[in-house]
Amino acid sequence: MAHVVIPVGPQHPALKEPVNFRVVADGEKIVRLEIDLSYNHRGIEKAAESRDFIRVLPLLERVCGICSHSHATCFAKGIEELMQLEIPQRAQYIRTIVAELERMHSHLLWLGVAAHEIGFNTLFMWTWRDRETVQDILEEISGNRVNYNMNEIGGVRCDISPEQAGSILKRLPLLEERIGEYVKMAKSQRTMLMRFCGVGKLSRAEILRYGAVGPTARASGVDYDARRDDPYLIYNTIPWNVVTDEDGDVFGRTKVRIGELRESLGMVRYCLENLPGGPIRVQAPKTAPSGGEILSRYEAPRGELVHFIRTNGTDKVERLDIRTPTLANWTSVAAALVDQNLADIPVIVAAIDPCLSCTSRLVVADRKSGKTGNISWNELRNGVCRIRPGSNRI
Amino acid sequence: MNKKLTLEEVTGKLGRFGTVEQARFNRIRVSMEPDTIRDAIIAAQGDLACERLLAISTADNTETLELIYHLIGPHRTVISLATRLPSHLPKIRTISDILPPAGIYERQIHDLFGITFDGHPGLNRLMLNEDWPEGEYPLRKDWKPEPGRFYGGIREDRS
Repeated sequence: MAHVVIPVGPQHPALKEPVNFRVVADGEKIVRLEIDLSYNHRGIEKAAESRDFIRVLPLLERVCGICSHSHATCFAKGIEELMQLEIPQRAQYIRTIVAELERMHSHLLWLGVAAHEIGFNTLFMWTWRDRETVQDILEEISGNRVNYNMNEIGGVRCDISPEQAGSILKRLPLLEERIGEYVKMAKSQRTMLMRFCGVGKLSRAEILRYGAVGPTARASGVDYDARRDDPYLIYNTIPWNVVTDEDGDVFGRTKVRIGELRESLGMVRYCLENLPGGPIRVQAPKTAPSGGEILSRYEAPRGELVHFIRTNGTDKVERLDIRTPTLANWTSVAAALVDQNLADIPVIVAAIDPCLSCTSRLVVADRKSGKTGNISWNELRNGVCRIRPGSNRI
Repeated sequence: MNKKLTLEEVTGKLGRFGTVEQARFNRIRVSMEPDTIRDAIIAAQGDLACERLLAISTADNTETLELIYHLIGPHRTVISLATRLPSHLPKIRTISDILPPAGIYERQIHDLFGITFDGHPGLNRLMLNEDWPEGEYPLRKDWKPEPGRFYGGIREDRS
């Protein structure tokens, strides 16, 4: 059968940002994937060069709404290291609490999206309801559900009062119970097992070859985690474990994320119970040293985030180069999709928790006849793919 | 997890390519000429077990464009291989054949800085929109949007 090119994208309301895939398929099997990310370039790196450090933090929070704290912390800790600032312990603890709450809300969101992609909407509703608890906690701490704006160069913007800490600690047992429920479900729920097991499998060698990061890599036994490998904040002083799995498929990635939910919850609890006293920020100098250069690494919920920062003696950066975890993961998605079923595109793409979107509109083109037509996301999700008459020629 | 790499170990294996310096406790930087980058990466992969490419960072120093390849391995030490290309003719050989993840990073750099990677299988647009004018590289320091030029999106009706 002739190869068929299926453009997927660029818009889809269920996911966050636009991306266009050109999926080359032979029958129901995927041969190759080509990616176009050009729909969302907002020039943030360029804009960062013209704003001082105070104004650049809110800008960086807007790189991504889900992992906003990751970008701001990654940048702040890089600049602070260049300025040789000693950040108070209390601020480090608060940053860690917010970082781990962010990881929890991101992973719960992912679990819901993945469940939705396989048509298991009950789980989607459950995880998103539980995610609300995390969002409420974040709102209580920072005043915002997303884009918390917790960081300042030199510390954090607002403190956690003993009352707040107490009220957060009271809500953790419920979350813990729910996470326990998801662990049980992942092991025994038939729908999840059927749609996740063996789908989008990547071996350890493939992960290393294609450079995947985060839970995608750890699900294949590649135990890279910047929190342990390049300790920042207080990760080398609090108890936690790197979660890995050997399955390497979407099921493995689910298990890793659920495991990380547990670890994050443990870390939040530990930090709240052992929150040291003292100030929450120090006065930072206005300017960063000239000729400073740093590669700041941070384990965002989706994987390792890298900010390459150069300073020039002023209050602005000379260069800020952001490498997001999703960009690092695309190569592995393209590899994982080869020889898989068209129907598994949503779940395999969703399995890396892409910070970009897929589509509700698909154009199918038959190269031989030159015919094109549309198929909906639902048809794709249900594994139905048929060419309807259309007029455009690709 | 293995031991961190020391400056001596890296100098022993990569010293022949350029100047090796310790940038931070687990960051080692090697500066070299553009034509040795590829051999240095192969050497780092083989002799220093650098199995992953963290990122390719780029910076514009006005006369030169700087490329920094950050590699990491089981030793969890970041080896940064840095080189400079002339801004008027930035060209370097691709490493996407020896390190597949580099493919997508090189596309991004080509898009935003206009560095050509010889031998890249498909140096297509990745970040900028399809109607962005050719030959304009927005992350270069000297780039400014030209008034009146169309940079994509919806054309304003000038009737």
